[in-house]
Amino acid sequence: MAVTLQSSRFGELQIPAEAVLDFPNGLIGLGGRRFALLARSEESAFVWLHSMDDPELAIPVTNPWRFFESYELELSDDEAERIGVTSPEDALVYVTVRSAAALEDFCANLRAPILVVGNQGHQIINQAPEAPVRAPLFAGLQEEPSTKAA
Amino acid sequence: MLIITRRPGEKIMVGDDVVVEVIEVSGSSVRIGIAAPKSIPVYREEIWAAVQAENRAAAASDVDQLPDDVPAPTKKS
Repeated sequence: MAVTLQSSRFGELQIPAEAVLDFPNGLIGLGGRRFALLARSEESAFVWLHSMDDPELAIPVTNPWRFFESYELELSDDEAERIGVTSPEDALVYVTVRSAAALEDFCANLRAPILVVGNQGHQIINQAPEAPVRAPLFAGLQEEPSTKAA
Repeated sequence: MLIITRRPGEKIMVGDDVVVEVIEVSGSSVRIGIAAPKSIPVYREEIWAAVQAENRAAAASDVDQLPDDVPAPTKKS
């Protein structure tokens, strides 16, 4: 069974009903309730987290470990209990991406990742010590290959 | 905004389900306890505001700006 997603960016799309994610608390400060993940292809680094109900609301997200090998994710006990995970391995993890005209200005939010558990989504606060709200994705691009990854 | 003066040990009810308690006052800091249903997240305001700002910026992202082929980040072997 499919449901229709209206998108100001992509037009009208059909989404399998089982792919719709329920965000009980929406996205922090932005709200929303039902979302779907849209990928251009399987190899795409970036996936769009698209609202099912607001055609304009969509955010690029990515797998943080694709860009940040040593990314650490820690949940507070309260938050783990609230979203129903015993450890971060129970969830798919995405971070939001702020795009820009130049690749060097792309940033990911490592402080507030989005965890998908089953068909539920939650944007949570990462308690790990070094998790900036704005972490450049492509900072290493201009440098020599021998310098360490971001 | 409702402004209330409390002493340590005193509480405030927000609706029927959220309790805010002043635990301790020490110098210029206040230790505050918040009891809320599990379904309600509680954030330090500055973190919430920073995340909201970043969410908004990310939501303004342009389809054309996202590359299909992403240069591989340098990886340790």
